[in-house]
Amino acid sequence: MQLLAQVLVNGVLLGGLYALMALGLALVWGVLNIVNLAHGALIMLGAYVGYYLFTLLDVDPFIALPIAMVVLFCVGYLLQAGILNLIARAAMFNTLLITFGIDVVLTQLAQMLFSADYRTINPGYAGANFMLFGITLPWVRVLAFAVALLLTLAMWLFLLHTRLGRGIRATAQNLGAARLYGVSPKRIYALTFGIGAALAGGAGDLYGVVSQINPYIGATLTAKSFAIAIIGGLESPLGVVVGGIFLGIVESLTALYIGPTFVDVASFGILVLVLIFRPNGLLGSTT
Amino acid sequence: MTLRTKFVLALAATLVLAALPWFAPPTLVQFGIATLLLATLAQGWNIIGGFTGYASFGNSVFFGLGSYGTAIAMVQWQLPFGVGLAFGVLLSVLFALVMGIPVLRLRGHYFAIATLALSQVMTAIVSNLEIAGRNIGLVLPLLNGDALFYELSLAVLVLATLTIFWISRSRFGFGLIAIRENEDAAASMGIDTTRYKVLAFALAGIFSALAGGIHAYWITFIDPVSAFDLSLNVKMIIMTVFGGPGSVLGPVIGAFVLSAISETLSTEVSSVASLFFGMVIVAAVIFMPRGLADLIRRFRKTGWRYFSENVRSHRL
Amino acid sequence: MKTTPILEIRGLSKRFGGLVAVSDVNFSIAPGETLGLIGPNGAGKTTLVSLISGSITPTTGDILFEGASIRHLPAFQRARAGIGRTFQIMKPFPGLSVLDNIAVGALFGTSTTAKALQTAREEAREWLELMELQHHADQRADELGGPDRKRLELAKAMAMKPKLLLLDEVMAGLNHAEIDDVIEAIKKVRRTGISVLVIEHVIKVIQRLSDRLLVLHHGQQIIEGKPEEVLEDPRVIEAYLGRRRA
Repeated sequence: MQLLAQVLVNGVLLGGLYALMALGLALVWGVLNIVNLAHGALIMLGAYVGYYLFTLLDVDPFIALPIAMVVLFCVGYLLQAGILNLIARAAMFNTLLITFGIDVVLTQLAQMLFSADYRTINPGYAGANFMLFGITLPWVRVLAFAVALLLTLAMWLFLLHTRLGRGIRATAQNLGAARLYGVSPKRIYALTFGIGAALAGGAGDLYGVVSQINPYIGATLTAKSFAIAIIGGLESPLGVVVGGIFLGIVESLTALYIGPTFVDVASFGILVLVLIFRPNGLLGSTT
Repeated sequence: MTLRTKFVLALAATLVLAALPWFAPPTLVQFGIATLLLATLAQGWNIIGGFTGYASFGNSVFFGLGSYGTAIAMVQWQLPFGVGLAFGVLLSVLFALVMGIPVLRLRGHYFAIATLALSQVMTAIVSNLEIAGRNIGLVLPLLNGDALFYELSLAVLVLATLTIFWISRSRFGFGLIAIRENEDAAASMGIDTTRYKVLAFALAGIFSALAGGIHAYWITFIDPVSAFDLSLNVKMIIMTVFGGPGSVLGPVIGAFVLSAISETLSTEVSSVASLFFGMVIVAAVIFMPRGLADLIRRFRKTGWRYFSENVRSHRL
Repeated sequence: MKTTPILEIRGLSKRFGGLVAVSDVNFSIAPGETLGLIGPNGAGKTTLVSLISGSITPTTGDILFEGASIRHLPAFQRARAGIGRTFQIMKPFPGLSVLDNIAVGALFGTSTTAKALQTAREEAREWLELMELQHHADQRADELGGPDRKRLELAKAMAMKPKLLLLDEVMAGLNHAEIDDVIEAIKKVRRTGISVLVIEHVIKVIQRLSDRLLVLHHGQQIIEGKPEEVLEDPRVIEAYLGRRRA
């Protein structure tokens, strides 16, 4: 019982971070109809921003988080404005293909610049934890979980209550609608992609604190982000949080009861099943 | 160019290619095997992606099943290569039938993602199978005969290309194209869309599995990560899209051209080759989204405007 | 004397979540007859066509084609049985030539034998010419203009050699001259003796084409009869025409 509770808590904590990872992907997908295969690579870049700020300048990873977000926002904005806007009306698989191309370029550049070695962001408090009802809670994961949820909440409020947020939501329905909010579609596309990348950057920084990073982590993270976005549905950030936590729990349970090598079978198997039986997500409508 | 001249040219090119092992250096023959197998894979993707319009990320599963089917039959059951190859193809077709029926109901991005997830699931399942050597893989018996592998690869590519030639002018192929262009309208005109899509998927599976089996025996070593490598699937897509999806020879030309460029670059620095690959994809999607085949057909008429027109018609 | 109707609709309803799109509709079409179906926007007309052609399944009720229930048949089998349709939002195969678009109808449709592409193209030429599209034969289908596109839809459906043709708002987006043009095309179609269900917004079209009229309002059929009688009926004028003529 104690063990199960511990595993569930681990899953939930992991799930918060997963939710943040998937949030940017879901936003870009829902609004721009771009399934961004380079999303994982953006998370990877965010992780390296956090890593270098920590190792070179001794910046705490939680303070580096906003910096990673700003840097990735710029990367995302430029990618959309400079490249992706050029193919905004192209066929679906051309969009898939070009984001894959970007993924390859980013991954190779990262490998040339940062080397293929594994890295970790290791602040002094990395090993610290506290106990609650007999369950061990590592401080870093709890903090990462809290920050991830806060960012998700902030994102939700931003979409609902700011002028730009409403403009972005309107663009998801109808491209021309952006103009009603006084923003050109080109800019709103670039801003949306930039925000998606910023969320990826933040998630990457946190990921670097709880896990090892190298230039090749992107592909798996993209796949996981998909799984979460699909399981949760694209409609609201809440769905993404539910999807993230769901996947986190499933992975923790699989690792414990079936075996760590089956984690991917479970998470992607569930993704396939959800796609087949509930294509609008676990929470989505059935029609 | 009439069909007859095209046919004669293709036949001549095939004969030259077939004669290559007699005069070319061994490294070129090895490069040839790899390229011919890639071209076969691209043709396989062409059937489901190019003709039917379903962006499959599951074709690397076919390749992997072909590899593993061959390897398991040869290593664990001591069967001859031919039987192993047939077993690999059988596994691949079964996968296409069993998974194709539910997954091909999904459209657009959803299909792409479902197949992507399936390929992850298959990698993970195979790395947990005792008979497949878990995550260590299998070592196949050694056969020194690059010329033989080369001719075999060429034969499979020719078979795949002839099949696609038949598809392009058959009732079946018209059905596939109709599905690609507009699936609802296709169904309302009497096309059994599910059956056609599953058949196309299975056909793609046959050729990809053949390529996988030959590749496994040639390389003599397979493991889950390389056999189900997703980037191989992406290469199939790039080569097809670069050459011309839905055309008979486009994917072959795409595979030859891109492999040659990539090979030249990788002899310099290997990571530069991958970087270049990424940039080619980005540039190709922006400037020639319908592939080389379309570029060659239209360039004479439009000249350099061809590229700017493509950008203009797809940008925001 | 009573012949089996080509199509018989019995108590057909379709619910989408809480919304009832079509509610307890009953009618039949005799062989060779043209039935007109009118009703304001959102009356459930397109839903009805989709129910008959099989792209959606009914909540309750039955659909009989030549006396046999087709309720459980998928769309492609209904097409093979002899139900052809056009789409309100035109759905040509954009990348195929105009001739090949029609050839798809001849290759599949009600044809049971696998025929060669060449034969199908020859058959397609017949409707290509009847619909006056011969000058566009080799053009890509998405390069056609409004009325040509509508005629292509008709040619595609007719090349299937159907027994019943469902026309879903073929006139949408056309001007007066173009409408007359397409009406003539539909008359050519009718001369083959086929049964037709015309769904239309434009009264003039319905009047000139239908033998009998059915009015749908909020998913329910409110009246059925001869065109002149139906169009004079106060309920129809109130529900639909009244607002339009005012």
